[in-house]
Amino acid sequence: MNKDKTLRKDIRKDFPILSKKILKTKDLVYFDTAASAQKPQVVIDELNQFYKSHYSNVSRGVHTLSVESTLRYEEARKKVQNFINAKSENEIIFTKSATESINLVAQTFYDKYMSAGDEIILSLMEHHSNLIPWYFLRDKYGVIIKFANITESGEIDVNHFESLITPKTKIAALTHLSNVYGSKIDEKVSSICKKNNVAILLDGCQSAAHLRIDVQKLECDFFVFSGHKTYGPSGIGVLYGKEDLLNEMPPYQGGGGMIGEVTTDKVSYAELPAKYEAGTPPIAEAHGLGIAIDYMNNAGIENIINHEEELTKYAYEKISELDFVKIYGDGDNRNSIISFNIENIHSHEVSSFLDVEGIAVRAGHHCCQPLMKHLGVNSTSRLSFGMYNTIEEVDIFINALIKCKDFFIK
Amino acid sequence: MQGFFYKMNELLKELYQEIILDHGKEPRNFGECETHNKSAHGHNPLCGDKVSLTLFIDDDDFIKDIKFSGEGCAISVASASLMTEKLKGKKLSYAENMFKDFTDLVKGSEDSLSTIDEDDSLYALKGVKDFPMRVKCATLAWHTFKNALKD
Repeated sequence: MNKDKTLRKDIRKDFPILSKKILKTKDLVYFDTAASAQKPQVVIDELNQFYKSHYSNVSRGVHTLSVESTLRYEEARKKVQNFINAKSENEIIFTKSATESINLVAQTFYDKYMSAGDEIILSLMEHHSNLIPWYFLRDKYGVIIKFANITESGEIDVNHFESLITPKTKIAALTHLSNVYGSKIDEKVSSICKKNNVAILLDGCQSAAHLRIDVQKLECDFFVFSGHKTYGPSGIGVLYGKEDLLNEMPPYQGGGGMIGEVTTDKVSYAELPAKYEAGTPPIAEAHGLGIAIDYMNNAGIENIINHEEELTKYAYEKISELDFVKIYGDGDNRNSIISFNIENIHSHEVSSFLDVEGIAVRAGHHCCQPLMKHLGVNSTSRLSFGMYNTIEEVDIFINALIKCKDFFIK
Repeated sequence: MQGFFYKMNELLKELYQEIILDHGKEPRNFGECETHNKSAHGHNPLCGDKVSLTLFIDDDDFIKDIKFSGEGCAISVASASLMTEKLKGKKLSYAENMFKDFTDLVKGSEDSLSTIDEDDSLYALKGVKDFPMRVKCATLAWHTFKNALKD
């Protein structure tokens, strides 16, 4: 492991897609890691190797391949447990996506702990995946959803959040790191929840690959993230839940693998974590995620964080110097994400223009329509960094932004 | 190498022809028809572009009036604006052929166009074919028009 707090200089070479030329001539500048991260060669190779040499279904049967698959699948769970510092591997549930993880919590938490008239607190900057599962509860069961305000700097207004809590409030579901502002949640929010006996789910999709995650320090009851934003494969998500809660809550889906005993008139359920993993799980994907976690650990989580901090700070300063660009949120609490608009140019135009320059940025509402409405915009452009981005790429981006403005505003 | 850079620039110029930028900035027929008997809202949920369309169609199936409002990128606004210009006064059957021709054009198949030719203002949107993710921007207004006819 690299211990001098700087990232290995040749890290880009580990990501084969980064040598792709856009429109045959332009070097790819991939600034869309918040949508999905690119994959290092070792993850690609290991997926290949897994299917070639070890693949079978897991936790069923006793033959050699079943054992080899199961070992790797459970090893991945252990890696995730260490990655986020969960107390037990029973607290790590593999799902197909972070979205499924949130749906799982919404449904089963409601079933165990809530009834009509109870309250949930979300914030105005949640991703649709952390809104709609809770809207389902509102529409089906009549629970009440309250929204915490967002400050000008792009953070949850902690005082407003606290003022929303009543004896009826059962759970708060909030983004750990905003996919629009790049802002990290104030740690006070968790302690406020704890003090008031409100459960808290943190959506860690944007934080898992960009911050050091410690679910015990975060004092959260649930934490979700996805494999594909964490340099791993798509098709796998993680749910962390406190063991006592996961034990008390009912199963989510029914099917193979999640049962204790089945007769014609009743069923008992498997112990954790199998209780929540009905059906054949994303086996190779879990293994791939485990390899991606190894890869991040080898690169050094602190090194990645330092590198991305430097990139973000540099890009924020450079963009701030452009008087025709508006950045959403401020610079203090910002991690690897910058959302912006060029005055009088729609984000689609910006994104198409940058694409021709080889630069991939996200344009649109970022699955945050309530936040877009709050900001009074239809869409924004967003650049987001991964460990493989460089200062030189930021310079290319800045030059392209200037060209873009000149192209559209003559 | 020079040739490639030239080509890329050409792609953008092809996409953002003067007429597109003009209609994107100053859309024609913007607003709502004073009297209308057909209307529809269109929305591209992936990117948030929105268009609302009102039409007045007379007893002989001619589009006597058509207006749109909404918000979106230059491509979607210009496409809506150009569409209203083209459809005003047209018979519905002809307009439906135009719908088909236009969606073919922006997807890159222009072999069997019967209602749009190279001198047509709609032809300016042909450059969208090189930007597949933008096809939805260009066709939003047209799909909204189709939906309005079912109103």
